[in-house]
Amino acid sequence: MRIMFLGTSSNSGKTTVAAMMCRYAAINGISVAPFKASNLSSSWHITGSGSPIGIGQAFQAVASGIAPDDDMNPILLRPEKEGVVRYLKGSPCAISDDAAFSEVLASFDRIAGKYDLVVCEGSGSPVELNLKGRDIANMRMVRERGIPSVIVGDIERGGVFAAIYGTWKLIPEEDRRYLRGFVINRFRGDISVLYPGIEELESITGMRCFGVIPYADLRVPEEDTSVSEVSCREGLVSLDELLSACRDSVDLDGMLRISGT
Amino acid sequence: MKPVWSRVSKEIEGELAGTNTSCPYHPSHFRNQECTFCYCPFYPCEDPDLGEVAESPRLGRIWDCTHCNFIHRKDVASYVHGRLRASGISGPGDPALEELFRETKTKFHRKGKAVMILGATSDAGKSVIATAICRILNDRGYSVTPFKSQNMSLNSRVTHKGHEISMIQDLQARAAGVSRPSFRINPILMKPKGDGMSQVVLEGVPAGDYSSADYYSEFVPGPGTDALKRSIDFLQSRYDFVVMEGAGSPAEINIYDSDIANMRAAKAADADCILVVNVEWGGSYAYAVGTLDLLHPEDRRRVKAIILNNLRGNVSGMRAAAEELEEMTGVPVMGIVPHLDFDLPKEDSESFRGVKSVGKGRTVVAVPKFPRISNFTDLDPLLHEDVTLRFVSSPEEMEGAAAVVLPGTKSTTSDLEWLRRTGIAGRILSLKGEVPIMGICGGYQMMGRILRDPFGTEGEPGDTEGLGLFDMETEWPGSGKKTERFGGTYIPTGDPISGYEIHSGMSSSSETPMIKTRTGTEGSIREDDMLFGTYVHGIFDKPGFRRHFLSKAGCALSVEIVDHDDHVENNIDKLAHGVMEAVDAELFDRIFMEGRL
Ligand code: SF4
Repeated sequence: MRIMFLGTSSNSGKTTVAAMMCRYAAINGISVAPFKASNLSSSWHITGSGSPIGIGQAFQAVASGIAPDDDMNPILLRPEKEGVVRYLKGSPCAISDDAAFSEVLASFDRIAGKYDLVVCEGSGSPVELNLKGRDIANMRMVRERGIPSVIVGDIERGGVFAAIYGTWKLIPEEDRRYLRGFVINRFRGDISVLYPGIEELESITGMRCFGVIPYADLRVPEEDTSVSEVSCREGLVSLDELLSACRDSVDLDGMLRISGT
Repeated sequence: MKPVWSRVSKEIEGELAGTNTSCPYHPSHFRNQECTFCYCPFYPCEDPDLGEVAESPRLGRIWDCTHCNFIHRKDVASYVHGRLRASGISGPGDPALEELFRETKTKFHRKGKAVMILGATSDAGKSVIATAICRILNDRGYSVTPFKSQNMSLNSRVTHKGHEISMIQDLQARAAGVSRPSFRINPILMKPKGDGMSQVVLEGVPAGDYSSADYYSEFVPGPGTDALKRSIDFLQSRYDFVVMEGAGSPAEINIYDSDIANMRAAKAADADCILVVNVEWGGSYAYAVGTLDLLHPEDRRRVKAIILNNLRGNVSGMRAAAEELEEMTGVPVMGIVPHLDFDLPKEDSESFRGVKSVGKGRTVVAVPKFPRISNFTDLDPLLHEDVTLRFVSSPEEMEGAAAVVLPGTKSTTSDLEWLRRTGIAGRILSLKGEVPIMGICGGYQMMGRILRDPFGTEGEPGDTEGLGLFDMETEWPGSGKKTERFGGTYIPTGDPISGYEIHSGMSSSSETPMIKTRTGTEGSIREDDMLFGTYVHGIFDKPGFRRHFLSKAGCALSVEIVDHDDHVENNIDKLAHGVMEAVDAELFDRIFMEGRL
């Protein structure tokens, strides 16, 4: 069982939605773990085995009720003086995209072997024309492991319908079957004003809307400082608040169902 | 012969004047205008496409040419000059003069070209691009006006005629070189009051409070739509170019038909559109494709170009992707604009939200971060000196502050309550006499003894105790609002002060006044305690008072004395230059100049 959250841009709220999913599954007694192939960040969490992983995955692990593990985020991209350097489980590595991708798959398989549900998070937008063919964290992952996917769009900046539609449209037709739905994040106000737009988007894309997440000033550790497990645990308070705020507006059970749970 | 015609006769005898920048009234209408006819030979033409009837307090009904640019066009002036020289027209009343006016109008007058800048998101950079385009076109000698039908903002400005418009359209008007912008450049201004309500300012005057639902169901179909059409007609018949700005995304399919800020405005003006996409957060291709695809086909046809904006990285890395985007959408990419370094007042209280401080100077000026803070661009000029503006939400954060400025607010009484609840009020009182404390507008009202709001204009009806720094009372009379440009001198030093007032509460103070105007005084001051209070927004724009205030805070003043207006002017040029460098000049000309001389 697996599910992938893809973003319409970086910062669209994938990390939060994935953490909600992890938390919800764990509460419902499902053994669950997070996964993200690669993270671009200058800060990290150090796992028990001494490797750095993305803060988002550490937090999601804590939300899943398990200890963070290197396989949850095998590749870290760090901006350094000479440009972005790729780290594989803590060591700089100058391997090809394909070689890196096999490492990513191996990590994913190990996680999938240990847990019933793997909640994956994509990286940035899956349809960057300038990264085409080099992107190992989004659709390549989805295709290779047949992961049902949900697009997360951020409404705060406006243009969320266009962003979700455009993301769907730019994903090659043969891959669109993995796109099962979308979620609208950071909404303020009366949800009913969105309904006409949601219905139209559902009917033109065939994806279903799994819900609208209210705007939350979430103190989930952001990916800009190094973070310990303790502070991740503190972040759970606001995550639980958000989960209960979403009880009526987000169909988490529906998302569990498409994951194959 | 009327006295004015004697001037016109001189103008006819003289040579073409060109742009007379040495005239104290320059530019009377727009930057780079033609000044041959300072006095219009056709006055009063009584043509509603050009001028308008106005009430003057002194003269009664007059023919008002404030927003007419016709006779200041180079082609028009030169044609009229030549014809008048040759014709021997005797003056007003000569049928040949009327004939010449009709002929000139038929030959030269046409609707201005409208181009609308759309954004894929609210932070796409539409207003920045529109500002740049206003300046680029005005640099070429055209009369240009900005326009945004509906703007949601707590930063506003006052026009020469006392109408309230958004700060950003006022800034764009400056970029366009318009000397006296009309309220028509922003006929609808929504000022959020919290609690889901907004005060709607219609054609420069308050028109009541609306919830978002009522705004769309009642206001938009009626007064909103009418104002939109009136404004567009007015501007298009007076300016060579109308640079329109959309709001948010034009592809919000849940409210598409009731959105008068985007495609309906474009349609009303028959505008070509340019879609701006911010590439900073990624996903820009999806945003571009999605926006275009969700537009109705007749609207999509208006989109003539895409601008990829705010790139922090290598342009060449994006070229191939931009080409692919062109192929996919059929819309050319006009340019990849890098992240530009310029300093202009910003609209986005959005980005303001997370900001704790601005500037890197040694003198810390503490500014309470009111939940309803407004007109915070008042503070920008302080940064020309050795200053850090620190936005504080707790008394602890005021540690080390060398001065305090209480800015404007949309809701004085509830923000005053916030000031007390956070403990900042107490800390401010303890700083009295130690550091200079200044209140502007709502912040000034808070400094008084009592605030009386019997009709609940600001919140719950009733009285609120003020900070008591000034012996002053403020009362909200329940209706009316003062919106006025302001000019005067700071009494202790004689330094000039200019700006504008926007407030509905009225104060009576028994303190020493701070500013002298032509007709009276304004503000309050206690020099010994270093307390300053005024209603004037823009108080720090001129260097004299700004430096006086900061010297009281022990700020080491810079050698270079910066006038804020010059600073803004230079940065508009910098921005326009940066944008023009990044766009395809040929495509720019094809969109803007087609059919132009
Ligand atoms: S409106 Fe224009 S053309 Fe008419 S009289 Fe005034 S300045 Fe002259």
